[in-house]
Amino acid sequence: MSEAIAIPALAVAGTDLALESQATTAAGVALTLEPPASRWSLRARTADALAAVIGRPVPARIGETRDGLACLGPDEWLADLPAGTVLPDGAGQPVSVVDISARGVVIRVEGAGAARTVASGCPLDVERFAVGRATRTVYETVEVILWRESETAFRVFVWRSFAPWLWHALKACERA
Amino acid sequence: MLLIHCPYCEEDRPEVEFVYGGEAHIARPLDPAALSDEDWEHYLYIRRNPRGRHHERWRHTHGCGRFFNAVRDTVSDRFEQTYKAGEPRR
Repeated sequence: MSEAIAIPALAVAGTDLALESQATTAAGVALTLEPPASRWSLRARTADALAAVIGRPVPARIGETRDGLACLGPDEWLADLPAGTVLPDGAGQPVSVVDISARGVVIRVEGAGAARTVASGCPLDVERFAVGRATRTVYETVEVILWRESETAFRVFVWRSFAPWLWHALKACERA
Repeated sequence: MLLIHCPYCEEDRPEVEFVYGGEAHIARPLDPAALSDEDWEHYLYIRRNPRGRHHERWRHTHGCGRFFNAVRDTVSDRFEQTYKAGEPRR
């Protein structure tokens, strides 16, 4: 006798997280949960090998970003693309192309006080972290990928289960 | 905060992004079965533990994810230099 095991559907939209957008505060920071997007973890020996498989320009230096792709390590990239984008899987090629759209969420920290809010919990030298750079780092105790979009806007990629905690940590740092 | 230079990121990064990985340049014996118990014990457990210059492995876990080697002074905790895994001992 066997019974079917019900596996709950994984909510991709980010709506399972009870995070309410925070309007811009007196400190000049707005926290918002970004809408779902198509995100990929990409591994290859070289940027050229990866570019040949996915047919897009790939940044070669660690920390660089280009057209939604960020170079995280010598053989690792993150792709953050519009929802619905599908990358070639590179079957038979020495690359790894993995859809991680449902793995995490992105919290957007924006406003005049954004850099200060990020610096409150992140050990990086945020002032020297130039616009257009992205890197894996930590925020308080949580591993995140930090992506600086402009002087006053940061995107914080975090694994789903850490998101509620990180949200409150960002709020606490914003108020501090 | 202690800053460690990651030879892959080519940047000084905060220590909390890194994890210590023990003494560096310890080659695994090619044929473990041929070793005496004493030699095997030496390979597994016995470390130099010097006072002063120490070659050690670190991993930029919360960064590029790479292992690399460092020369650190065990008295002053100062990092003398770091270099990529696979490069000869410095």
